[in-house]
Amino acid sequence: MSYVEIPLWRLGIAALLVGVAVLLSRAARLELEKDLGLGAIRAAVQLVAIGYALRLLFAAEHPVAVFAVLFVMWLVAAWTSTRRLKHGPGTRVLLPHAFVAIGLGAFVALVPVFLFVIPPRPWFEGRYVIPIGGMMLSSAMNVVAQVFERLFASARTEAATLEQYLALGATPEQALAPYRRAALRAALIPTINGLVTVGLVSLPGMMTGQILSGTEPEQAVRYQVVVMYQLVVVAAVAGVAAASFARRLIFTGDAQLRT
Amino acid sequence: MEALLVARDITVVRDDRRVVDAATVTLDTAAIVTIQGGSGSGKSTLLRAIATLIPTSSGQVLFEGREPQVIGVIEYRRRVAYVPQLPQMFEGTVAENVRTGPGFRGVALSDTEVVALLEHVGLGPELAPRAATELSGGERLRVALARALANEPRVLLLDEPTSALDPVASRVVLDLLRALARRGTAILAVTHVEEHATYLEGQRFRMTNGALRADAAESAS
Repeated sequence: MSYVEIPLWRLGIAALLVGVAVLLSRAARLELEKDLGLGAIRAAVQLVAIGYALRLLFAAEHPVAVFAVLFVMWLVAAWTSTRRLKHGPGTRVLLPHAFVAIGLGAFVALVPVFLFVIPPRPWFEGRYVIPIGGMMLSSAMNVVAQVFERLFASARTEAATLEQYLALGATPEQALAPYRRAALRAALIPTINGLVTVGLVSLPGMMTGQILSGTEPEQAVRYQVVVMYQLVVVAAVAGVAAASFARRLIFTGDAQLRT
Repeated sequence: MEALLVARDITVVRDDRRVVDAATVTLDTAAIVTIQGGSGSGKSTLLRAIATLIPTSSGQVLFEGREPQVIGVIEYRRRVAYVPQLPQMFEGTVAENVRTGPGFRGVALSDTEVVALLEHVGLGPELAPRAATELSGGERLRVALARALANEPRVLLLDEPTSALDPVASRVVLDLLRALARRGTAILAVTHVEEHATYLEGQRFRMTNGALRADAAESAS
């Protein structure tokens, strides 16, 4: 395998690109300079850290180490998905639900693929499990966050309408159905757009990376197709699970709106 | 004879305040009962508690001698309909709004049935295809009534049914309620308008600071 190596000083040149964005932010008074700067630094620090962590992990090749990393990623994804919500019962109540919803989505996407499609040898090989697992968790995180955000916002802004559905004899499922549909559609559309435009508009990062590091494009493409299909099922399963949890948090057992 | 609906000692506590304080009210078939009281007296909360839309701190509701939880709250709400003050219209046509309740239990009302329900509340068939959200306040209330009646309830709980209406429209609605009662529907209406309570006749209650008591004026007569 041969590829162009990036020494640190050339990484510094790339960082200047963020500088351009900072200058534009200042000129347009977006007040995002601090966020941009901190974000750029965080991204570099986090990625360098995970780089070293992965090197250790791949060297160790121990299932406990691999799954410990995956577990931390899972936890961070769950926490992140509940953190910025403006409505709803708050992170403490939502976190376990997000954790399960993300876990369900990732489980359904990962297990069959690692069993039958890309079986790593050994089965816990970090080089496969961590990056693909990470992509699934991150996609599930975004879907769960969006479904929670939209449903809890609807429960608040549409409380009067929801209550009238209930008064007309709707079950909580029936009352929430239009909002659930809208939330799930909105959460799934980016993934579907990804399916439709991939190869035409975007060359996905994983595929690009594999090609850059010397993988045959044909194989890199197959990996990417698998991942895209996984992303679809992740979004669907995590989204439906999140919607179902949200419903239970929005209504009481007596089919009343929680206040 | 067993009362159709009994709400006994209903208490709703919110932020340590007894918004409804041991209120008791009984409805027989075809009865009209009105509750008067100022804003914040707890009358709307009592109505929503009887409709099982909010939890009660204590007290008991019995419909035909059974608790809503025993009947099933979903089923109970079909028999004991609740129409809020300033009802929301759902997206879609007036006809779709009227079909909502039966639709929840898989029953599709025919066009004839929809028109009959609209006529019942004094609205013409030409309203059926109109967008419900574009209606006037009076029309909305009547569509909400038709929507509730589509479930064929035995009891109607009405929160300020005339609050958004001019005197003419109010009279139409009050006449409709009297006609419904004559045909056997029990009606519990909250209102702050003295004349409307008088016009509806029936038993009258007054609510003050969460406490419900029989209206002195009526008891004296």
